[in-house]
Amino acid sequence: MEGLFFNTNGGFVEGVVRGYRNTLLTGQNYSNLVQCETIDGKYSLSSSDRLSTTLKFSPIDVKLQLGPAYGDFLAALPPNPSTSALAGKMTDKLVSEFRYLVAQSVGSTAKFLEYLTYGYMIDNIALLITGTLHERDTRELLERCHPLGWFETLPVLCVASNIEELYNSVLIETPLAPYFKGSLSHQDLDELNIEIVRNTLYKNYLEDFHNFVQTHPDFSGPTREIMSEILQFEADRRAINITLNSFGTELSKQERRKLYPEFGNLYPEGSLMLSRADDIEGVALAVSAVSDYKSFFDAVGLSQGGGGMGGMGGGPADGKSLEDLFYQKEMEMSKMVFTRQFTPAVVYAWMKLKEQEIRNVTWISECIAQNQKERIGNFISVF
Amino acid sequence: MSGAVGREPVFPTRQSLGLMKSKLKGAETGHSLLKRKSEALTKRFREITRRIDEAKRKMGRVMQIAAFSLAEVSYAVGGDIGYQVQESAKQARFRVRAKQENVSGVFLPQFESYTQEGVNDFALTGLGKGGQQIQRCRETYARAVETLVELASLQTAFLILDEVIKVVNRRVNAIEHVIIPRTENTIKYINSELDELDREEFYRLKKVSGKKQRDTAAADAEILAARKKQEAEEAAAGGSAPAKPEPEAEAADVLGENEDNDVIF
Repeated sequence: MEGLFFNTNGGFVEGVVRGYRNTLLTGQNYSNLVQCETIDGKYSLSSSDRLSTTLKFSPIDVKLQLGPAYGDFLAALPPNPSTSALAGKMTDKLVSEFRYLVAQSVGSTAKFLEYLTYGYMIDNIALLITGTLHERDTRELLERCHPLGWFETLPVLCVASNIEELYNSVLIETPLAPYFKGSLSHQDLDELNIEIVRNTLYKNYLEDFHNFVQTHPDFSGPTREIMSEILQFEADRRAINITLNSFGTELSKQERRKLYPEFGNLYPEGSLMLSRADDIEGVALAVSAVSDYKSFFDAVGLSQGGGGMGGMGGGPADGKSLEDLFYQKEMEMSKMVFTRQFTPAVVYAWMKLKEQEIRNVTWISECIAQNQKERIGNFISVF
Repeated sequence: MSGAVGREPVFPTRQSLGLMKSKLKGAETGHSLLKRKSEALTKRFREITRRIDEAKRKMGRVMQIAAFSLAEVSYAVGGDIGYQVQESAKQARFRVRAKQENVSGVFLPQFESYTQEGVNDFALTGLGKGGQQIQRCRETYARAVETLVELASLQTAFLILDEVIKVVNRRVNAIEHVIIPRTENTIKYINSELDELDREEFYRLKKVSGKKQRDTAAADAEILAARKKQEAEEAAAGGSAPAKPEPEAEAADVLGENEDNDVIF
């Protein structure tokens, strides 16, 4: 049933995304990239050779290898670009493609896409709050904001000069207002660490997003299944990461518990155990109910390099951290999303894959730029 | 005698000779002391040069690792954390203490780094993801800064020592090639002048004594002659002088004659 009317509104967007998916870099591309000697080679081949060289072994430059996938976006790069400039240009491509999708989408799909941008909005708002707290000129911070997290009232945030004004008159106008309401007061903004604010917002966002895909009538079919799986994974990952990263900091267990999203595979028993964990063994114990996470912990924490998890990526398993394994899992889930049809969840999956691709390319070019090729294979490629 | 270095404008007196001699002695002692100091400093300097070389190589390695760990952070976080870290850092965790070290009278500043435990302003950065990488990156950068501090103290010592060694060497050379020869020259000059005076004096004395001898000899001869005459007169008066009284007699005769005989024209 769900497929019957999906294409009326969402079919075009889905089709476009599937097209985008095909331009993602493949394992072949990555193995070519790894062979590169420079980011922007001075002795690159002429343009007529380009198409043929990408298919065979050719130790040239990263920019050239990315040519087919990114095309014009890399043309504006200055000679000898920094890796951050390269990543910036790649993000520009992602942003422009996403904006096109937003422009083409209507109804519930549009709402879904909007939800995707909230994560970036949280980052931007956290950035601006930090700036306001330290009484910096917030205008220059606008340039640092992630373009996907841009919303119309974002520049208005710069008007606020103190935190109370920011909270009462400005934040309330943003799409994120519901996430502030009820969990954060304006005193909290002043007193709490900005990371706690950010993670509280993110927790509220994840719960809201989860709730949205669970209850919205348009997403009754595959979207609900896919998205709840992905969001649950995301929630668990955040909970585990927060727990691991909070060891040795002033974050108390009660505060930590407030940051755990209240859904996911670990919720509620695992979350409770996580909130009581004191060390990595405690975390491992808390997540042992879920076999995936248990195997991650086995591969990383207890027997370093012993497990074969994540071996499907570009690199050997023993160089991988827990985060790498989580990314790997996320990418595999995102890849599987494309096996489903009639769902805007492919946009989500495509965005995640694209972001991972940007990270991969940044990593590879960083390794090339710093001439540290030992760990260049430490990226995650799923195609 | 004066040479290229000249001599001090002193009067060639015995007093200034004494002064010059003590000055020469002082200069020689100072020269050997400074020479030793310069050698000690040079030894230290060489050691510092070697350590700078080591520290620079180490810095190269450490900075490379640090830059790479930053790359890891940007991979794990997937964004720029620079701003968050900047804004959340309020207190310095890594601090530097300056000390002084005395190397043969030269004060070399030494920087000593230490970490203020418990100050961890951005411990929560990357709480959602990448926190461990950020902390690891911080550790590597702390090590890198440690190397930089070490290098900084070595470089400062290097510069100061370089300057001091130059000054000391200049002094050593000045003493060795200017002051000592000049003092020696002055001493020589004073000595020669004094010798000259001595010789003049000697000659003068000799001259005086020669003259005195001559005078004495003349006086002696006169006395002798007078005595002989007296003896002769005595002898003549005694009648025991047949030859001698004659001329005397003649003379006396002449006189006597003149006296005795009137001149008749």
